[in-house]
Amino acid sequence: MAATQLRDRVAGHTAARRGPFWTIPRRDALVGYLLISPQLAGSVLFVLLPLALVGWYSLQEWNVLAGTFDFVGGANYAKLLADPKMGEVLTSTTLFSIGLVVLNLALALLLAILLNQKLAGTTFFRTLFFSPVLVSLVAWTIVWQFLLQGDGGINGLLGAVGVDGPNWLRGDATALLSVVVVQVIKNVGLNMVLFLAALQGVPRQLYEAAELDGANAWVRFLRITVPLISPTILLTSIITVVGSLQVFAQIAVLTQGGPGMSTTVLVYYLYQQAFQFRHFGYGATLSVLLFLIVAALTLVQWRMRRKWVFHES
Amino acid sequence: MSRRVKLSLYGLLCVLCVPFVFPTWWMVTSSVKPINEIFAFPPTLVPDRWDLTSYSRVFELQPFAQQYWNSLYIAAVVTVGTMAVAAMAGYAFARIRFPGQNVLFVVVLVGLLIPSEVTIVPLFQMFHDFGMSDTHWPLILVPIFGAPSVLATFIMRQFFITLPGELEEAARVDGLGRFGTFYRVALPLARPALGAVAIFTFLHSWNLYLEPIVYLSTPANFTLPQALTQFVDAYGGPMWNVQLAAATMTALPILVVFVLAQRQFIEGLAHTGLKG
Amino acid sequence: MKALGKLAAVSLTTLLAVTACGGGETPVAQGPQPLRMTIWTSNEAHLKLFNEIADEYRKAHPNVGSITFDTIPFENYTTTITTQIAGGKAPDLAWILESSAPDFVGSGALAPLNSKIENAAELVPSTTKLWQRDGELYAYPFSTSPFGMFVNTDLVKAAKQKFPQELIKAGQWDWEHVSKVNAAVAKDGKQGMTILDFDYKGWDNLATVWGGWGAKAYSDDGKSCQFNSPEMVEAMTFLHTSIFKDKAMPGPGTVADFFAGDSAMVIAQISRAAMLKEGTFDWDLVPLPSGPKGKYAVIGQAGIGVLKKSPNAELATDFLTFFTNPANSAKLAAYFPPARSSLLTADTMAKTNPLLKPDQLQQVVIDGIETGVVKPSHTGQAELAQTIRAALDPLWTADADVKTVLDGVCAKIQPMLGA
Repeated sequence: MAATQLRDRVAGHTAARRGPFWTIPRRDALVGYLLISPQLAGSVLFVLLPLALVGWYSLQEWNVLAGTFDFVGGANYAKLLADPKMGEVLTSTTLFSIGLVVLNLALALLLAILLNQKLAGTTFFRTLFFSPVLVSLVAWTIVWQFLLQGDGGINGLLGAVGVDGPNWLRGDATALLSVVVVQVIKNVGLNMVLFLAALQGVPRQLYEAAELDGANAWVRFLRITVPLISPTILLTSIITVVGSLQVFAQIAVLTQGGPGMSTTVLVYYLYQQAFQFRHFGYGATLSVLLFLIVAALTLVQWRMRRKWVFHES
Repeated sequence: MSRRVKLSLYGLLCVLCVPFVFPTWWMVTSSVKPINEIFAFPPTLVPDRWDLTSYSRVFELQPFAQQYWNSLYIAAVVTVGTMAVAAMAGYAFARIRFPGQNVLFVVVLVGLLIPSEVTIVPLFQMFHDFGMSDTHWPLILVPIFGAPSVLATFIMRQFFITLPGELEEAARVDGLGRFGTFYRVALPLARPALGAVAIFTFLHSWNLYLEPIVYLSTPANFTLPQALTQFVDAYGGPMWNVQLAAATMTALPILVVFVLAQRQFIEGLAHTGLKG
Repeated sequence: MKALGKLAAVSLTTLLAVTACGGGETPVAQGPQPLRMTIWTSNEAHLKLFNEIADEYRKAHPNVGSITFDTIPFENYTTTITTQIAGGKAPDLAWILESSAPDFVGSGALAPLNSKIENAAELVPSTTKLWQRDGELYAYPFSTSPFGMFVNTDLVKAAKQKFPQELIKAGQWDWEHVSKVNAAVAKDGKQGMTILDFDYKGWDNLATVWGGWGAKAYSDDGKSCQFNSPEMVEAMTFLHTSIFKDKAMPGPGTVADFFAGDSAMVIAQISRAAMLKEGTFDWDLVPLPSGPKGKYAVIGQAGIGVLKKSPNAELATDFLTFFTNPANSAKLAAYFPPARSSLLTADTMAKTNPLLKPDQLQQVVIDGIETGVVKPSHTGQAELAQTIRAALDPLWTADADVKTVLDGVCAKIQPMLGA
């Protein structure tokens, strides 16, 4: 309120002197700048400035313990190109992210659709599916570590139905799969709730009309549901893609990047280089790489939105 | 819907929810198991013998009540602050035209793309220069104004974009200025989106792990996720039952609040929220 | 960097002024100086003892304003310290893990201590080796904890096997016999032997086994990889057979907690005896079994160093001198096995280790400290450890070829050692 009055007073005051300067678009613009200013200031101070510093660090050889900080130009970038581990790291990262995004979005949508049926007790199930979101990550991963052992709960369950389960965290493929699944179950509830909200906003009449036209369930899903919830799909896919490239605590607890390098994704490798191996300069270089990858992926999604997202055209 | 379809849907839901429920169930029940039963194979579903001492140990070993309060108030302040910052910025980016808008939006969006590991060192340097290490300021200021709030701004922008264009016209007819339109008209409509932002933000702050470990050094200042790692014996070996008791105490109240508030949260979202 | 830091500082002040938040640094002025030591224990008994020693020191030294002990979780300890140092908030004193000792000692980050430590001549040589460079001591080895073998004698009895003490008397306490005992227990349904914190990742703990074969991870000068030496191949073949053929050790992905009664034996540091206080089974603690090369001992260590960067480095060094003097070392020995030979007697140790019998203290602790080899560490250990961990992973399958895998380890790390 105070801001409105202030703005009015300022505007009125200047208007008196300068006449038509404070046109409506100009006033609007002023309010716009004022409204974004806290976020913008925060972005400059807590995002761009640190990011610039990281870019600067990536040009240094920085030995924290010895206290040396020497400019080495592109040496860290040359190291990046020659790093024999980069191939494996990028492969793991790609597999991990694709697995995570596909599984997360598909499961979230499936659960949301199930919960959107006219069934008694969906509130109850909704709570169950959402509950892992609320459990602390540390506790969640510790529990799964137990469950995924060779003779842990998962294989106990599989054994009950006659399947001889693998040693999950020790095989290359199963370890990657396990980390993906643990992460999906932990967080799919958030996307599920967003999808559910979107689904409940789709008018029932549309389905009824389509049914009269003889469209089957699959066609109704593709032609009505997907377009109408497309803004939510865009939002969740951006969040999930970005999030998939930032998963590291789970990997640290469950596999420490192994077996071999099979679960060493880029952010974990970055963490290892910077914080465990104390190669801050090289870690900063990897940060720059990670940032560029995330930025490129997000940009692609954002650009593509006009093609398929309903409200954005 | 036929009986058979209904039954199979229920069956599917029941099977699907096992991996969602079992870990939490195991955590809660194991927290009241004696230590040797925690490791039993196959895992016991209900404790054979109840042992509540781990719960009192939690409070003996750490200033747990203080740490609980720290997490709670930080998360609350961050949630309220983020809602304000994000609602304002989201509205401006969605509905006001001003020069440089797109560029500034992209500038802000950069925050969405940065994992916290990337910027933690420069941020730590900054806050240390201000004598703010071992205080809660970095855990409050960075989430409200920095990268974590960008997601909130993004959600709010996506919401405000879906409001009908007549909104501003109607407000102007009523004699409201731009800010009045935002505060009196758009913001009340945004309650469901704000609900989503509130949940996201609260959980993010509540689960923050790397930052408190780096910034905070006095146990009385610790937050809960950090405290959870402190329940180890004298030699660094985890005290599983105490850890699980503490973990249960951090999760259950949130779960209860969610159960109570979810009607409003989800159904609110459904009415005018991030719908298609 | 400095300029950008200033810029950040100025912008932050502006932001703070806008949001009207106070808070500023206590100005570093003359007068009583605060000291900060980072530790990884949060045990109240430990902290109480530290604070008592600190209070006593401050009484005699009014120029020290306060002494705080900051607990950092063990898991993130070195990481967090490094971040704090990078951020300009180096602690004055820090506990240092054995694995990062070469990095800290070699980088010149620590202040020299030779002339400061009281009665340094009585420090057992095996305990100071890791913390020295060119004859100068850079950290005080405040905790030197030997590895021993804890044995659940109930399980051994149930499997109708000989007790460790009997084997020792018969001169049969060697890996061959131990493996048989464990295989027998495992056949009964429980697990055989585990190595604490190994879990098929923490490979440096395997030094407690391969020491018996005289194997080493790196050559003494640290310049060459020893993983494919004949001794190491033999030791690892023994481990591989024990795990996959004899089933004397639980395989990868199986957690067996000795302290909960799940396994017959565990190799662990003697400090873990405290976890058996409320034990529900009978147990014994004996030295590590002898290998083909005879008897050996392995120790884990932690040191306290003074960060050279600290503005109060001199004060901190003086406090460290006091903290580790013979009188305080005796107090600390209640929790941390000492490096001073005057304290290394079964009698003194017994006073503070009520769970252990005098002959256990003599055999495992005192002999262990005097003859022990420290777990492997090297400059850049964290990166080496991670690389070796990844390269060793193929070994933990039943059909692995030991020599091939170990050659692979050396192929990966030899270039890193040369650098």
